[in-house]
Amino acid sequence: MVYLDNGATTKPRKEVVEEYVKNCEEGFFNPSAVYSSAFNLSKKIDGVRSLILDALSGDEYKDRVVFTSGATEANNLAIFGSATNRTKKYLFSVGEHPSVYNCAQELLTRGYNVQFIPLSNTGEVDYDAFEKLCDKDTCFVSTMFVNNETGAINDLYRIRNIIDSKNPNCIFHVDGVQSFCKLPLSVKKCKINLLSMSAHKIAGLKGVGALFISNKVNLKNISFGGGQEKGLRSGTVNAGGILAMGKAVELANRDMTKNLEKIGKLKTLLLENLYKNFKDKFICASTEKGSPYVVSLMFKGIKGEVLVRKLDSNGVIVGTGSACSANKVGNRILESMGYSKDQVVGAVRVSFGFDSTEEDVIEFCNKLKECY
Amino acid sequence: MKEVILIRFGEIFLKGRNYSYFENTLFKNVERRLKKFNLKLERISGRFLVSDFEAEDKDDIIEAIQTVFGLVSLSVAYEVETSVDTIKSACEKIKIKDKTFKVEVKRADKTFPIKSFEFAGELGGVILKNNPDVKVDVHSPQEIVYVDIRQNGKTYIFYDKIACLGGMPVGTAGRAMLLLSGGIDSPVAGFLMAKRGLCINAIHFESYPYTSEQAKQKVIDLANIIKKYTGNIRLFIVPFTRIQEEIHKNCDDEYMVTLVRRFMMEIAEQVAKKSDCQAIITGENLGQVASQTVEGITMTSMMAKDLPIFRPLISFDKIEISKISEKIGTYDISVLPYEDCCSVFLPKNPVTHPKLNKIVENEELLNREFLIQDAISKMEIIDIKN
Repeated sequence: MVYLDNGATTKPRKEVVEEYVKNCEEGFFNPSAVYSSAFNLSKKIDGVRSLILDALSGDEYKDRVVFTSGATEANNLAIFGSATNRTKKYLFSVGEHPSVYNCAQELLTRGYNVQFIPLSNTGEVDYDAFEKLCDKDTCFVSTMFVNNETGAINDLYRIRNIIDSKNPNCIFHVDGVQSFCKLPLSVKKCKINLLSMSAHKIAGLKGVGALFISNKVNLKNISFGGGQEKGLRSGTVNAGGILAMGKAVELANRDMTKNLEKIGKLKTLLLENLYKNFKDKFICASTEKGSPYVVSLMFKGIKGEVLVRKLDSNGVIVGTGSACSANKVGNRILESMGYSKDQVVGAVRVSFGFDSTEEDVIEFCNKLKECY
Repeated sequence: MKEVILIRFGEIFLKGRNYSYFENTLFKNVERRLKKFNLKLERISGRFLVSDFEAEDKDDIIEAIQTVFGLVSLSVAYEVETSVDTIKSACEKIKIKDKTFKVEVKRADKTFPIKSFEFAGELGGVILKNNPDVKVDVHSPQEIVYVDIRQNGKTYIFYDKIACLGGMPVGTAGRAMLLLSGGIDSPVAGFLMAKRGLCINAIHFESYPYTSEQAKQKVIDLANIIKKYTGNIRLFIVPFTRIQEEIHKNCDDEYMVTLVRRFMMEIAEQVAKKSDCQAIITGENLGQVASQTVEGITMTSMMAKDLPIFRPLISFDKIEISKISEKIGTYDISVLPYEDCCSVFLPKNPVTHPKLNKIVENEELLNREFLIQDAISKMEIIDIKN
């Protein structure tokens, strides 16, 4: 089987699974308890916080990391935990993942002043439009680093500079799910206040994520309970999942440069092959500048989901570009980039993981010839 | 005083000499539907009686009884030993909620010493004593207290009748094959024909990879809901992709839908006959979509050579069908946005008045017999059991 839907989830690394099993057997305690085994476990969890801060160039003494059940919860905490003032302006990129976009929609229904930043035809935020939208009343801006459907990379440094020129106190939230431990990023340099991440996109386990919180942000809790994670995320801490995430972060961060180079070559190989064999039969919505991990393709004359199922029957797994073309909902992101409904319906997403190989790409291209 | 549930059945009384067959089938259907509860189910002259159940199961039992075709109504009743005194003392406890009421006494037990009309008057007096603010109104009372003196030495006292589905007991009219697409109409068609006593088999045409695994699961989920009413369903899933691809490749685009439906009907009849069905059921509805014109339906009908086709929804408005669908619980699943095989390769302008000679010309381009037998041989069978 060839698996090229790593944007959806990745296969956990062996070391990650071993770490989890070890924790289940030896370190199963509730880390909030008072006895020494629990305390030792909580120190290990703090070690994972340090690892994450290190990977993001955060400040170990001032900044915080709160563990959550995944990126969706981290995004909810970041957005609803920051939204306190209905008179201020909240800006969201229109290309956000549903876990951010639907929070923005909810804020709208709750009477907040929410506005959306359009995308340019490269899939990045339209910086000029953003500059016009952002003003001194803007208190919250949320844009992702790497787009989950197209791989487009937003220039966070440029975005922060625009924010600073209007309102330096504005909170800047970044959904870092598709970039964390894959692309270098410094929260310090880009003055990011909140950054969401997920373990299972970097060969960790599902059910664990985290929110980076800079010392400048005073976040409100949005759920209530025993007050774990300094009151921001009540509920028994998922020690095993977090320690396994620590292992995934450690390895992915160690190999980041090497992986980036390898995946870059795979993207080139894929596109060369596609242009050679399927010229004029597809459009690539991903740019050369984008993350090599995600490649968005739109095939002509076939529905993306049909192609995905045909490839699946032939042992190759890729993702669909649009979640639901059946009822003609279309694809918000690709349509925002200017593609027509007819083009978008043929969207397929190829996304690489750390373990993807050249053979995978070649097999995908071969099977594509049979299926399309 | 013990709480029991009295179940009444209606139309099967009309069946004369076959009465016991209809009643036995109905009793078995009720028994099957209630088997997961801890209770006693028995027949008492012309009714079924449910007793000895856990109080917390009462609402679920009533809901389950209301899914059995052939039943007319049910009542939650107090059961007492038959005697003038016990009945009177039971009536003392009755609280009338409305402003007027009357008592109706039925004496199946003719040995009971007081005549019905007279006893009703006496019991009315007892009830009035404890409900000083209400009045008796024998012509149009807001509430009726029924006192049913049965031959088994028991009397049942109850206030209100809860309607059941009516119809005929499932199984008394034979078995039919339902064409189940996953849309709103076909589950409703199956439900309505089961109401006339038919057992249901179902056939679904699958077009993977043009349709998804979810589309197939949707059909299984729908069958799982209608089985509450119809009893067990044998579901046949026929791989249909190849047939559609062949039509798409070889035939006139505008005839796609007509040709597809003719294949479906022919396959449905063959599978129906092999699985002991005596009829075919479809959710077709005159004029709803382009293929459902009189001509379109004629072209499809002629493919079923030996079995009748029942189309219970032929005259319904969509809104009426949707209402039934909501009532029986299939609507929310039917509207899930997974494509079914009918929307694959859908032409922009399907023919609304298909001509037989054109159809025959198109069909001659296909190896029909091979395609049909190939599809049937690869058919999957799923038993949807209660």
